[in-house]
Amino acid sequence: MNCFEARRDFRAFWRRELSAERREAFVAHLRECSGCDGAFRNFALTAPVLHSEVEPAGHREDLARVREAVAARRPAMAYRTSAPRRQWLSMSAAAAMVLIAGIMAAYLSISEPVGNLNDVLSQSEPQVEPVVELFGPVTPVARVDQGNGFAE
Amino acid sequence: MLGLARTVERRWSAAVKPDQELIDEALSGQVGAFAELASRHRGSVERLCQRFFSDHELARDLVQESFLKAFAGLKTYRAEMPFGAWLRAIVINLCYDELRRRRRKPEELVGDFTEPELDWMQLVNTATPEEIVSAAEEKRHAHDLAHRLLDTLRPDDRMVLVLKDSEDMAVSEIAAALGWSEAKVKIRAFRARQLLRKQAERILSAERRWAAR
Ligand SMILES: [Zn+2]
Repeated sequence: MNCFEARRDFRAFWRRELSAERREAFVAHLRECSGCDGAFRNFALTAPVLHSEVEPAGHREDLARVREAVAARRPAMAYRTSAPRRQWLSMSAAAAMVLIAGIMAAYLSISEPVGNLNDVLSQSEPQVEPVVELFGPVTPVARVDQGNGFAE
Repeated sequence: MLGLARTVERRWSAAVKPDQELIDEALSGQVGAFAELASRHRGSVERLCQRFFSDHELARDLVQESFLKAFAGLKTYRAEMPFGAWLRAIVINLCYDELRRRRRKPEELVGDFTEPELDWMQLVNTATPEEIVSAAEEKRHAHDLAHRLLDTLRPDDRMVLVLKDSEDMAVSEIAAALGWSEAKVKIRAFRARQLLRKQAERILSAERRWAAR
């Protein structure tokens, strides 16, 4: 194994993806080559974040929060029901929104709000009518409205 | 036989709807469709946020904010691009804004190590490569120290480093997601690696000097 090959294998070694034979060659090279050995030790300092497999925390309640917030905004989009049912639904939806807004307000007051997001968001035109101001004005990502979320 | 294959195919397509179908349903007002879409892409969104921020609560907020922004901008999504890539651009821009907001200065890092972080640095200096890998898996402070080192980078540099090295994104993809030129992405990647190597050398040699006393 040469230096180029050894350095190319840093990540695979870190993730234990090398075959036994290749791993042995890798370790043998590092034992002989102080340059690659030092480079690997530098690599190891940031590898726990950059190169380890990150386990998603997978909080169920996170998705529930997204679902609730999205549900609260749904009336801005296509919504077809019969008139009496709509009236009943709008009353219960209003009650649900007040409840959700209360929960979210409590949540937001105990956790740091996400950055100066509203400043960033306010730089672009609203695409969806805000229904409940759970997270401040609802506007798309700065670059979403220019094609597929990608600026030129 | 063909009938069975068709049945299996039908069941399969009923069980796993393509993203585009879920997007259409979400746009017609079906909340469940967007929830399904979110659940399908949550893992990759979470992983990306966690590469940038050690604070789990912040990462969770960013995950949620990403999906809300995706929902708000869903009408602007065009199918020429996979939904995952479109969503990733949203996450990237949110994380970038947050990095710019909270950047730590490099000097804040030096001389501010905890005892377990110093132990980890000593291990990185003295143990065999295999021992280092095994130890890193168990040590929370290995992770924390890595974040602190990355915190010293400029937001631009860190963005590119993570997207390129951790997410394996191509230069052109990164440039498109951030609205930068490819040359800027390459320069930032080069600078990030150089600075990081210097920082790593600096703290490992400081640890060696400290251990030799
Ligand atoms: Zn070498």
